[in-house]
Amino acid sequence: MLKKILTLLFISLILNVNAANSKAGSLPILSGVGGEFTAVDSNGYTIEFNSYAGNVVVLAFGYTSCADICPFTLGYLKQLYNKLSSEEQQKVRMLFVTVDPEYDTPEHLKAFLAHFNEDFIGISGSKEQTDYIVSLYQAEYNQLSAIGIPTQNIRRVQPKLFDDEAEAEEDTATLFSHSVSIYLVDKDGFTRSVEYTGTPKDEFSEKIKQLINE
Amino acid sequence: MKKFSSSFIFFVAMIFSVSSHADIETNNFRIILAPAVAKSTAAYGVIKNSGVEADTLIDISSDAAMVMLHKTEINSGMAKMIHMPNLVIEAGSELVLEPMSYHLMLSDLSEDVFKQGETIMLLLEFEKMGVIKIEVPIVPAWE
Repeated sequence: MLKKILTLLFISLILNVNAANSKAGSLPILSGVGGEFTAVDSNGYTIEFNSYAGNVVVLAFGYTSCADICPFTLGYLKQLYNKLSSEEQQKVRMLFVTVDPEYDTPEHLKAFLAHFNEDFIGISGSKEQTDYIVSLYQAEYNQLSAIGIPTQNIRRVQPKLFDDEAEAEEDTATLFSHSVSIYLVDKDGFTRSVEYTGTPKDEFSEKIKQLINE
Repeated sequence: MKKFSSSFIFFVAMIFSVSSHADIETNNFRIILAPAVAKSTAAYGVIKNSGVEADTLIDISSDAAMVMLHKTEINSGMAKMIHMPNLVIEAGSELVLEPMSYHLMLSDLSEDVFKQGETIMLLLEFEKMGVIKIEVPIVPAWE
């Protein structure tokens, strides 16, 4: 009988330890991904990443001249954000880091992101600053065109005529390839999960809530 | 007999003529309402070739924007847009344009017309089918 009880206690102990490990290990710290940086937010203020400490951060890369991936990602983030209560939203910062800071000025980013949610924060700055953020998150981007392509040159058919040469020079569409990962960062600035738009929003929002409640 | 032969040839010619002009149809095309400050957006929908011959999309245009067929490809977490000129749509197949995949990229948008509730005329020109005009509504994004 005693042997039986001891066996049950032993099994129970193992199961409890495993459960604890599973909980703690479900969102482990991803070392080497993310870190401290300085940039400019979409209100034009110079920020340090640690100024968001105490909040859970959801961070994605992109640029506003992107027609498909970035608007789709921001639409996904909008829906994700809407899954949180207003109290939870106050503890979350949604960051969209541009890979095209030359075009995506803080003012432009602010206006662009407001289309999705006015709470979303655009991160811009010098090219060196945004390149550094890209490297911190082990992300990548490449300019698909070596220089800004005048849009009348990339239109294949029936070019829309520009009024004058100056307008043609101004209107450029620089295209980039870039990482599509979405990074989930805890209140201490540690990256805890890397997601993408294929992650079910309920699953993603649960992870955010888990980090809020840590 | 000769009359029968010429009638038969005419009949066969009619069949092929009809099939080559009724192969391509489009479904569920919509343009995503872009932020007011955006200079580009995307259109999605389905182009179906229900005919017996392949056809090639050789031209896309609009008076309201510049239009290109692109494909988003994601490899190792990197998304890349690829221009897809002269795309062949095989007989009995359909080209699905959807987010993170094939899409029409519209740039140099005419600000006054790219508003919710408006429609934009797109002209899709196929090698065999000729030009198809479609009225595409502008819809809110990802609601």
